[in-house]
Amino acid sequence: MMNKHHKKALFYDKVSKFVIYFGGITTIVSVIAILFFILSEALPLWYGADYNKKSDINLSEKISRKPILIGIDEYKEILFAITEEGTVDFIDIVKDSIIKSIKIDELKDSKITSTSKSILNNYIGLGNDKGQIYLFQINFKSEFSNDGKREIIPDLKFINFVQIDSSFTPITKLTFRVNDNKNYKVVAINSNNEIFLYSFTKDLNDYENPVENLHFSRLDRLVNSKVTALELDNFCEKLMIGTFDGNLIYISLRDDNNPVLIQTIKAFKDDNSPITLLGFILGDQSVIVGNERGKLSSYMRILDDKTEYGWKLVNPHIFQNHKNRVESFSASSRNKTFITGDKSGITYLHHLTSERTLLELIGDSSSIKDIAYSPKADGAAVLYENSKVAVFDINNPHPETTLKTLFGKVWYEGYSKPEFVWQSTGGTDDFEPKFSLIPLILGTLKGTLYAMLFAIPLALMGALYTSQFSHPSIKNFIKPTVEIMAALPSVVIGFIAGLWLAPLLEKIFVSVMLLFIIVPLMIILGLILWNRVPSKFTSRLKSGSELLFIVPLIIIGFFISQWLGPIVELYFLGGDYRLWISEVFNQQYDQRNSIVVGFAMGFAVIPVIFTICEDALSSVPSSLTSASLALGATKWQTATRIVLPTASPGIFSAIMIGFGRAVGETMIVLMATGNTPILSFSPFNGMRTLSANIAVEIPEAPYGGTLYRILFLSATILFIFTFIINTVAEIVRQRLRKKYAQL
Amino acid sequence: MKNKRYSSGDIFIWFTGMGLAISLIMISGLLLLIVLNGKNYFWAADLKEIKLTDGKLVLGEVIKEELIPNFNLPDSLKNKGLKRIQLKIGNRDLYGFDFQWIDERRILSVNYPLDAVSIERFEFGNFYGFIKELIIKETVYKSSSPNFYATLNENLNLVSNLRERIKKIEKSEIGKINYNIEKLRLEIKKIEYHQKNKSIAEKKIADIKKEIEKENLNYERLKRSVDSLREKASMYSIYCEDINGRPKSIALMDVVKYYRPNQMSYSDKLTYMFSKIFEFIFDEPRESNTEGGVFPAIFGTVMMVLIMSLFTVPLGVLAALYLREYAKQGTLVRLVRIAVNNLAGVPSIVFGVFGLGFFIYFVGGTIDQIFYPERLPTPTWGTGGILWASLTLSLLTMPVVIVATEEALTQIPRGMREAALALGATKWQVTSRIIIPAAMPGILTGLILAMARAAGEVAPLMITGVVKLAPTLPFDSYFPFIHLDRKFMHLGFHIYDVGFQSPNIEAALPMVFTTTLLLILIVVLLNITAMIIRARLRKKYKTSAF
Repeated sequence: MMNKHHKKALFYDKVSKFVIYFGGITTIVSVIAILFFILSEALPLWYGADYNKKSDINLSEKISRKPILIGIDEYKEILFAITEEGTVDFIDIVKDSIIKSIKIDELKDSKITSTSKSILNNYIGLGNDKGQIYLFQINFKSEFSNDGKREIIPDLKFINFVQIDSSFTPITKLTFRVNDNKNYKVVAINSNNEIFLYSFTKDLNDYENPVENLHFSRLDRLVNSKVTALELDNFCEKLMIGTFDGNLIYISLRDDNNPVLIQTIKAFKDDNSPITLLGFILGDQSVIVGNERGKLSSYMRILDDKTEYGWKLVNPHIFQNHKNRVESFSASSRNKTFITGDKSGITYLHHLTSERTLLELIGDSSSIKDIAYSPKADGAAVLYENSKVAVFDINNPHPETTLKTLFGKVWYEGYSKPEFVWQSTGGTDDFEPKFSLIPLILGTLKGTLYAMLFAIPLALMGALYTSQFSHPSIKNFIKPTVEIMAALPSVVIGFIAGLWLAPLLEKIFVSVMLLFIIVPLMIILGLILWNRVPSKFTSRLKSGSELLFIVPLIIIGFFISQWLGPIVELYFLGGDYRLWISEVFNQQYDQRNSIVVGFAMGFAVIPVIFTICEDALSSVPSSLTSASLALGATKWQTATRIVLPTASPGIFSAIMIGFGRAVGETMIVLMATGNTPILSFSPFNGMRTLSANIAVEIPEAPYGGTLYRILFLSATILFIFTFIINTVAEIVRQRLRKKYAQL
Repeated sequence: MKNKRYSSGDIFIWFTGMGLAISLIMISGLLLLIVLNGKNYFWAADLKEIKLTDGKLVLGEVIKEELIPNFNLPDSLKNKGLKRIQLKIGNRDLYGFDFQWIDERRILSVNYPLDAVSIERFEFGNFYGFIKELIIKETVYKSSSPNFYATLNENLNLVSNLRERIKKIEKSEIGKINYNIEKLRLEIKKIEYHQKNKSIAEKKIADIKKEIEKENLNYERLKRSVDSLREKASMYSIYCEDINGRPKSIALMDVVKYYRPNQMSYSDKLTYMFSKIFEFIFDEPRESNTEGGVFPAIFGTVMMVLIMSLFTVPLGVLAALYLREYAKQGTLVRLVRIAVNNLAGVPSIVFGVFGLGFFIYFVGGTIDQIFYPERLPTPTWGTGGILWASLTLSLLTMPVVIVATEEALTQIPRGMREAALALGATKWQVTSRIIIPAAMPGILTGLILAMARAAGEVAPLMITGVVKLAPTLPFDSYFPFIHLDRKFMHLGFHIYDVGFQSPNIEAALPMVFTTTLLLILIVVLLNITAMIIRARLRKKYKTSAF
């Protein structure tokens, strides 16, 4: 018979069992699931890019003549196409219909033979078969109507129309750029391989203001082979020319009156085929070079004292080949990606820094005539030879990350060689983000190394003394003190290190270094004196109370080195230790340096190592030590030959756990170093660690962006690293416990 | 006998002792340093008048005295033991800087003028100098007149009462109006977003706008009364001179308090110290956190720790009970135990990153999209706040509670369990009546350690909701009283922020030391409590062994 009470008890038992099982397991699972969440935030870095074709537009149905150039607005709603006979047609992509068509009167009765288009698709130059060039700008004005709908009104703004070649020869290649000083520059070449430079200034917003500072000259004397490609940068300074025999020529147009040939270089090794493509990447530092066979490379100039003009072209990146002649190109105006298209109709999306080929955009199979990357870099339009246009949406959130950019040496723009660099943001939009984790990982290891150098000896010695030699009454006082030391918030230690210790150390650096010699000397001196004292005084003191003498000895040692420091500095280091350091080690002494971090983080780690070590040392079974002492071994012999070897796994795990703690320490490093991500193991400068880097950069990192995910990746690295270290240490410790139990 | 004393090893034993001694010296040195420096903030230091060799006078508090570093000296003067003193000369609005180093060779004579006054102001830091006149409207009281300071105190009290009244109106009454207007504004946004029927929406919005109008009128009225109070208060001012006779007129509204340290007796200074401690704990910060009190930071820290405990303790105890009492002990449980143990060693910043990604962007972002779509893109929950910070820290401290509880559970003698079971108790009865009460001190230890850790942790909080200056506390008189979505201030972050982000670090340093002292006191007290409870627990089970 079950009574009511009994039933109730059983019911509660069941409910509680469920709650505990459910609650317990959920808690544990969710705590462990942290790792998977962090990892899942970092993984999209490797997902690559994807695209979908938004629409296909057949221009031959709408426009009578052949389109040769296209462009697209920032919302990917309006496409414009320029035809051979000089018309500009604006096409609504969604409705697939022409909304505006403009005929350029000046180009009437001629055929357009060459085109040039700037990075935002808005400055356009056209050259015709009569040796004339027509320059204009395309604007997309967006207006909001009363009901909140956006309407885009395309417009065309005339800039200039010139007879550039008085012999009326067709213009075969043309490049037209405008710089921030409203300086307009055109370099054109005709079918006789004559190169023209034409430049002027003009304020487009001022209708009254005519063309000024007109300059016209020829550049033929600088180039003696047939030109197959040419491109000017947006500063209107660097002119790149590609020749029929595969050479890349760099001409400086800094001074129009005095153009200078800086360098001629073979663009591709063992390949003399003509250069067919030149295009500048956002920022105008790197130029993409492509040739007849579809090879693709990037070039940039670096400073070089040995050359005549101080500049030298280098080839930092090589990209995936096209199989055929590569001629069409469009660079992103948001990041360092670019699209290339070849004769056989294949389009690739590449990224400069990572050398990744992210996508192949498949539209039509006809040869590619022109490409237009959308201004927001989220789409592109491709014009094919058969007058068809494919418009793509591109989703390319993290083009910059590969294992190589994260962990390898990368040749960044403006650097003279491949390097490990962390620099996530820059002052300008065309900044090339540098995401190498190596300086941060090495910084972490550097900080940890200096902390451990300081902490391990002190913690080990302290633990050995406490467990083996000290008097129990001292021990009862030491353990809580060390626990308090462990409980000190790291922000406190960091603050003291950064604002008190660092400036102090700068003043008394030599004295502090002397401490490492003076204090041991004092101890030896103290012991010698101690042994001279008649034993009737010394024997009254309990054994294990050496500490009472050692503490004052150290304090005296401190004062001695404080006094000695300036003297040593004056007579041995020439009066200024910082000068001495920079002369002898070739290092700069920074106020917040690794020595400060070593002291501070060491201070934080000492109690961790001490506690675990002391635990392992004092739980060595007393049968072992007693046996050793009974056989006549001294206390020291017992400690080093019996206790230390037996407890060595425990010491190992203590050091590992301390190591793990130092690796992840954030506030101390944040406050006690300058947080500069440098690659140097010098003790006189600082570092930036993975953890401090997260704390510094994550408030500024946009949600879901590359930097945000890379910071999650560094958190994952930290998590896994410390987790492994701690697990190994824990397993070792458990084994040791088992061993003790057996002894 | 002598031989034995020289026997191998003694020297090494002394060396190991050295390792320990250095650690002990460091920890006590650190604590001493913080206490000594923290104390300065509360102490009314004497004002020293120094006559320099060039005839100029300086007046200020001596901050420190040190040997001039060699690299600041020409070769001929190196190692001669030359000293310099750092003087806090205040008067930032007159001089542009508050501190001055004075080489002892430049000192002609030293004096402590009895009338020298230190005026704490709401802006520009302290003023050091002499009060010459008190000006009320057109009436001028000279400081040489008898009872001058009594009159001054009386009027200072009067003005401070006015200030209190202004503050009260601004904070509670105008604050309430602002709160109402903001609520109505959000109401409009909500209607615009949800109400599809245009005419209904417009009607409702027009009603609300009328209410806003009403509130605005109230606001105007209150503002007028504040303005008149301000005008009244602005009629009181004092005319002062610095040590070199430079005039400076200070409105009594800008004066926090004044004192004449050179006339104060030791007991006066003690009284001053207690009032200063009171101010430090219960007042709000001033001058970008470098002066005043840290009350919001204390409040934020305590509230965050309490909310965290609400999550950590039940969940941690459940997990420990499951691991120790309910789960089948095997390899899997052992591995889980190791994993939980090791989570305590995972860097705190990693937990912060998790809190940012999961709680703020994922959970908070989702809540915003479902419940507050009309407020977007301004986030409500999708930004740092006290709830997210507490949850993040509860994950961080969960292992501490689990480990401590488990330890307590293992120490409960088998006999107690078996006896209860033998009497026919169900497992839950055993757990709830025998085990949990017995393990209570252990759980408490875990909780206290978790609180201590949370109180001192900064890195994860920096990215999950701590700010340098929170305009409002997360707790106030408006429904629902506790605002878990608000950002908050924290003692540890206060240290980092004031010490490393403030423009005038030198002037902020005493404040940082004091805050550090307070934080250490809290953390150390919590830890000592935990230690005592644990020691008692151990003793109890040692004696009650079956």
